[in-house]
Amino acid sequence: MQRLAARLRLRTVIRVVTPLLLIVVLGGCLIPPTPETTQAKDIFSLYTIVFVMGAIVFFGVEGMIVWSIIRYRRRDDRLPDQLHGNTLLEIVWTAIPTIIVLALFVISTITLTQIDAKSSNPAVTIEVDAFQWQWTFHYLDNDNDPSNDYSVTGTAADPPVMGLPTGQPVKLILHSQDVIHSFYVPHFLIKRDVIPFPAGQQDNTLEFTITEAGTYAGQCAEFCGDLHSKMTFSVQAMAPADFATWLADAKAGNTPAPSVSPPANATTVNITAEQIAFDTSTLEAPAGQAFVIHFVNKDTVQHNVAIYDASGKALFTGEIIGQGSIDYQVPALAAGDYHFQCDVHPTIMFGTLTAK
Amino acid sequence: MATTTLSPRTDSYRRSWVLDWLTTVDHKKIGIMYIVNSFLFFFLAGILALVVRSELAVPGLQFLDERTYNEAFTMHGTIMIFLFVVPVLAGFANYIVPLQLGAPDMAFPRINALSFWLLPLGGGLILSGYLFGGAAAEGWTGYAPLSGPNYSSGPGTDLWLIGLMLVGTASILGSINFIATIFKMRAPGMTLFRMPIFVWTVLVTATLILLATPVLTAGLIALFIDRNYGGSFFEPATGGNPILWQHIFWFFGHPEVYIVILPAMGVVSEVIPTFSRKPLFGYRAFVFATISIGLLSFSVWAHHMFTTGVVFLPFFSFMTALIAVPTGVKMFNWIATMFRGSISFTTAMLFAVGFLAMFLIGGISGVMMAEAPIDFHLQDTYFAVAHLHYVFFGGSVMGVFAATYYWFPKMFGRRLNERLGKVHFWLMIIGFNVTFFPMHMLGIQGMPRRIADYSPDAGWTVLNFIATLGAFMIALSILPFLVNIVATFINGERVGDDPWEGNTLEWATSSPPPAYNFDRIPPIRSERPVFDLRHKHDREHLAAEAAMTTVEEQA
Amino acid sequence: MSVEAPAVQTPATPAAAQHRSAGMPTPLLGMLLFIASEVMFFGGLFAAYFNSRAAHQGEWGPPTSAPPLEILPIALPITIILISSSFTMQLAVWAIRRGDQARMRFWIGVTLALGVIFLAGQLYDYSQLGFGIGDGIFGTTFYTLTGFHGAHVFGGAIGLTILLARGMQGQFSQRNHVAVEAISMYWHFVDVVWIALFSTLYFLR
Repeated sequence: MQRLAARLRLRTVIRVVTPLLLIVVLGGCLIPPTPETTQAKDIFSLYTIVFVMGAIVFFGVEGMIVWSIIRYRRRDDRLPDQLHGNTLLEIVWTAIPTIIVLALFVISTITLTQIDAKSSNPAVTIEVDAFQWQWTFHYLDNDNDPSNDYSVTGTAADPPVMGLPTGQPVKLILHSQDVIHSFYVPHFLIKRDVIPFPAGQQDNTLEFTITEAGTYAGQCAEFCGDLHSKMTFSVQAMAPADFATWLADAKAGNTPAPSVSPPANATTVNITAEQIAFDTSTLEAPAGQAFVIHFVNKDTVQHNVAIYDASGKALFTGEIIGQGSIDYQVPALAAGDYHFQCDVHPTIMFGTLTAK
Repeated sequence: MATTTLSPRTDSYRRSWVLDWLTTVDHKKIGIMYIVNSFLFFFLAGILALVVRSELAVPGLQFLDERTYNEAFTMHGTIMIFLFVVPVLAGFANYIVPLQLGAPDMAFPRINALSFWLLPLGGGLILSGYLFGGAAAEGWTGYAPLSGPNYSSGPGTDLWLIGLMLVGTASILGSINFIATIFKMRAPGMTLFRMPIFVWTVLVTATLILLATPVLTAGLIALFIDRNYGGSFFEPATGGNPILWQHIFWFFGHPEVYIVILPAMGVVSEVIPTFSRKPLFGYRAFVFATISIGLLSFSVWAHHMFTTGVVFLPFFSFMTALIAVPTGVKMFNWIATMFRGSISFTTAMLFAVGFLAMFLIGGISGVMMAEAPIDFHLQDTYFAVAHLHYVFFGGSVMGVFAATYYWFPKMFGRRLNERLGKVHFWLMIIGFNVTFFPMHMLGIQGMPRRIADYSPDAGWTVLNFIATLGAFMIALSILPFLVNIVATFINGERVGDDPWEGNTLEWATSSPPPAYNFDRIPPIRSERPVFDLRHKHDREHLAAEAAMTTVEEQA
Repeated sequence: MSVEAPAVQTPATPAAAQHRSAGMPTPLLGMLLFIASEVMFFGGLFAAYFNSRAAHQGEWGPPTSAPPLEILPIALPITIILISSSFTMQLAVWAIRRGDQARMRFWIGVTLALGVIFLAGQLYDYSQLGFGIGDGIFGTTFYTLTGFHGAHVFGGAIGLTILLARGMQGQFSQRNHVAVEAISMYWHFVDVVWIALFSTLYFLR
């Protein structure tokens, strides 16, 4: 009888502890990614404190549950003592959690103040434009001339890279062109929503100081529609001197090519983008001679027109523009069918261009 | 125990049983319809979950395009919350509350029926989006401007809005019914502090529904006006503010999650004392904790908006963490009930203890996210998904199954098979943890939620694959449950009035009860009238009861 | 089992059994709870109004293409009419509490007429305003608030019509008229909402 009871107890222990162990093993890493900004390090410290408290509560209370159900299994038909309550106990287990909660609140508010501090003179200011479903990073400098600013827009194949200096405060202005998005870099342990506020309300900003050089992945963290999962980007942090070089190179590479006037009698092919769709899926152009694509973008979202051959090689990549129009000078194409698409939305906006 | 020999059996009058059920205003039949309807939606939403998990098992889009995936998780959330977990608990409340009060029915039986029939109607409308160009695909939270006219054209979202308005109305009407019943139709001797705890949780839940759901209705109507009449509530171009939607939605949305958990806590508070053979420890503390949770639930909504940059973080962070205190009080009281008890591990008790173990984890992850700086990292990641499933599934759904195994004999006069029940429980709780525990890690590593696909370089593949395996294990666990139900209807073990040696009035009548519930009601001198009746010859008990009554009245 | 005084529940139609219970009749409690939910509904709409107004840049009011809101010639008169209808409703309630069915029917009829005049006036006002629900955030909140209030007045008018019909069949007496009490509560609520709306839209601005 004793042996049976002991075996039953053992079976219960196994049945209860195994799932718990499984959890802990599966648990593996409940530790956040290595924090790479000063703010992230503060958040990481707070996380450690809160996590340890959580673990203590977890093991303590789960332990009490497991112990109670094993120790107080029904063994006979005796009615146990009909305890109704104990006021002192109620007070104790109300007061102690309240104190813990208060302590957590104090620590967390201190951390919040630390990470929210804004610097008066950020080294880099970038306007982050979020739109369905890509990002544009627009590096602002202090002159009032936007044409020499460096700006990069991501495409599905080529998510945008935000180069940044380490050790210096960086400020992001988060602007949405359509729905709510969120700028999230896991290694910075932070995200901030990108919200299309009505006129007059200021865009959200996010400030941080990166501590280690490296490449850090990021992506949109507020569900924003069909291709939300594809709205990725990365941050490339480097020493300030390297950053200066990087930015200068980027600016140089971005100077628009001097405009070439179209050849006389060049054929113009028209195409319009609206509501994240082209107005046609077939285009015709003359074979063997350069022509112009007059592209009208009616959306606030960025689009372009690019032409590829059958093997997927890009024959012409038009500049990505926001709302507005542009004349693309397309080099001559041999007769045949080509695939055209918007590089920003290649799975939705595409068609066939026939040169004949 | 007195059985009903005085009444004619209801089936001695010939009539079509279809018509009977379609036109019934009997709270017991309505309760059963609520429960059956809810479980059907549960299976549907569960299949959607399997669809989602199958797609996420490995990187790359294997079966779905992004739009279909987005519809799937939107419908999964909407159906689970509005068409399963709230109505199923309402169904149990509908069946059990009048019985526990010693009442013959609810206060407004016809409105009770209307409340039920609005559910399949509303649910049908929500789902009909699939037939009209695509279901709603903006997440169950439907944030503007994504859910507005410019970015979700098509009737799917409008049908979702109208369906939810109907379901919300059903809830509100139901809440009026419960509050009126509880205040006006208790049997003589049943003071408020002698009501079963389940009834208390239903009372507070009904109050939350009454006050929070109309705000959602206002928001749904506002969005409908934006989408169809050129309104500007949430449209920035014409002066509206998308953040307003979040405030309105979460002012409802947060009390909603307490609407979902409180009745399940009530169930657990019935099951644990019964199978520990001890009264619930700290009845009054429990009542006050429940009321505190109800009140506090209205003060925390903006913790869903910490990363918007427009909320006053310290206040909401503090109130959110504070709600852990009354919840902790309940947890300790449940453990104290089992402590020095005499515990039988029926399936109902297993699910109740499972609730304690799993809800604790959900509570801890919630307090972690209550700290705003931590939430900056974890908001909108799989950590939130893990948290919400530990409280919704590990909490409420465990409570729902506890209620099912506990009250099935009362409803149908037959006990569900314990062996199959245990298989169901263990498969489900193990599968549940295999699915959702890894999601804590995924979130901490930075995997956002609501993504149809993820990069193979992110390092999230293994955990996602494990989570998918767990999901199929949960699905598998439903099989012994269904087999159990069918087999029990065919040839299950019959039971009498009180198969579990319960404490409350539902065990003082036959299983199932007659149409009017009671021939005789035992005297009500405490919160455990049936227990008292069972022990009325025990002089020791009577003396203790007499002594305790004075203490209780003083307390 | 020994014979203790069994507490036999009277299986009954809800209203009849209530003679044993103290306090508010159950249907009246139901109406009160319903009104509480409606308060929260309008609360949500008012919250949207105030939130939008607080965040708004520039003048808050009708679009520049339309005239500013004026309390004359329509808004103030219909407000007076609706407030009067609350008084006439209460007169009806007092009448039936005295057992005077004829007077009750009379005052319900007057209340109904006043309510209908209010609605007609509201609709006429809409036609004169010069802006619509789709004309910016003010238009949207204005029409949503007043429109749903009007819908509630309409619902109340239906209730009053039913009371009138039942009253003409002699269904109400001094001891048995809970429906009249309930509808009167609803009607007063609708009036209070209008007072809040009118003050907000025309005075607070």
